[in-house]
Amino acid sequence: MRNLLDFILKNSHSFLFILLEVLCLVLLFRFNNYQGSVYFTSANRFCGFVYETTSQVTGYFHLKAINDSLTERNIKAEQELVALRRQVMELSGDTVKFDSLTATVLQGFNLIKAHVVNNSLNRADNYLTIDCGSSDGLLPEMGVVNGLGVVGIVDKTASHHALVISLLNSKSNVSCKIKGREYFGYLRWDGKDSRFSWLRDLPRHAVCHKGDTIVTSGYSAIFPEGIMVGTVDKVLDSNDGLSYLVRVKLAVDFGRLNDVRIIFRKGMEEQQQLEKEIQ
Amino acid sequence: MLSSLQHILWVVGLVLIQAVFFNHIHIGGYATPFVYVWLILILNKNINRNILLLWGFGIGLLIDIFSNTLGMHAAATTLLAYVRPFILSLFVSHDSQEDFSPGVRVMGIGRFTGYVGIGVLLHHIVLLSLDAFSLFYWHILLAKIFSCALLTVLCILFIEFMRKGK
Repeated sequence: MRNLLDFILKNSHSFLFILLEVLCLVLLFRFNNYQGSVYFTSANRFCGFVYETTSQVTGYFHLKAINDSLTERNIKAEQELVALRRQVMELSGDTVKFDSLTATVLQGFNLIKAHVVNNSLNRADNYLTIDCGSSDGLLPEMGVVNGLGVVGIVDKTASHHALVISLLNSKSNVSCKIKGREYFGYLRWDGKDSRFSWLRDLPRHAVCHKGDTIVTSGYSAIFPEGIMVGTVDKVLDSNDGLSYLVRVKLAVDFGRLNDVRIIFRKGMEEQQQLEKEIQ
Repeated sequence: MLSSLQHILWVVGLVLIQAVFFNHIHIGGYATPFVYVWLILILNKNINRNILLLWGFGIGLLIDIFSNTLGMHAAATTLLAYVRPFILSLFVSHDSQEDFSPGVRVMGIGRFTGYVGIGVLLHHIVLLSLDAFSLFYWHILLAKIFSCALLTVLCILFIEFMRKGK
């Protein structure tokens, strides 16, 4: 007994080492299954405060580039609007019809404004921290977009900050389709280049060309149909040869995210509560 | 000589700098310096090994919380704290009983670089392998490990010379 105690005391650092490493691995592998773990993320109050302060400074650095791309998109959208308005006018000769058309696109969806305070690009699983939380009405599983396209999905929420799974994360699956052709697949990142992601499971008979636009399919409750994701960059065969694998140039530049919007459907809370009760 | 209070100040400062600055550097898309390992490497040579381990775990956990990688940095830094006495004994003669904190000033640039290099490489192998756990691109992993390690060692030497210059 005495020898045993001596042995343990003499090697206490080795036992402590094993104990701490086991603790680390438990934390590492259980982190994502545990909703309460938001306090161990950058969305907790203190980290959120630190990142918010720094992003108030660094937010100015990319402002010019962000402004340029928004202006460009605005001009494009305005030209499209003028063309469409003219077409609707020609077809129906009625302006009331047009107003009711625009109202139906985002019908039933709400937007909340937020700032990205922390962001990563080069890990296998990337997350964003935003300065909105449950006190602003955020819930896990809400979609996050910016002016250019889809950014990610809310994962965990603290009272004033939230953790968002970015598209650049092996855990993010977004159902997407080719605009105008309705063939759909799911988008998942491969951990390499932050400018590109991969659309998988696109059927063999689908028609797909370089430059085609990829948008959300609207099959899940998270994103409404038709939000920009990116453009087709390269079409390859999947490993099993049963479907296409499409390299998608992402519309959002994850290197300089600043303003984002959280998008959610009215009645989403009710649906989630119902689903929870069923489980 | 570093007093405990001084070291705590360094920890707070360097963890914050790591979180808001170094974590956002990606040279060539790969290389990110993890300068905070310096905090473990410069702790006093004769420090109690249990306390050294707790320092490693604590600092790693703080970095994890800031970068949403719970357990990853803590595991790597705890391992570094465990093997540090072995690495240090490779570069310091066994009979030197004197109490000192490893640094350029006491060890000389050659031996200090070797000591930091081995420690940092070991830490980065564990850290980046855990990060790439679900991916099998071993050549990207290797490129990341060596580019990050090189950058970290350069940053640590820079800090050391800044302190020496004072």
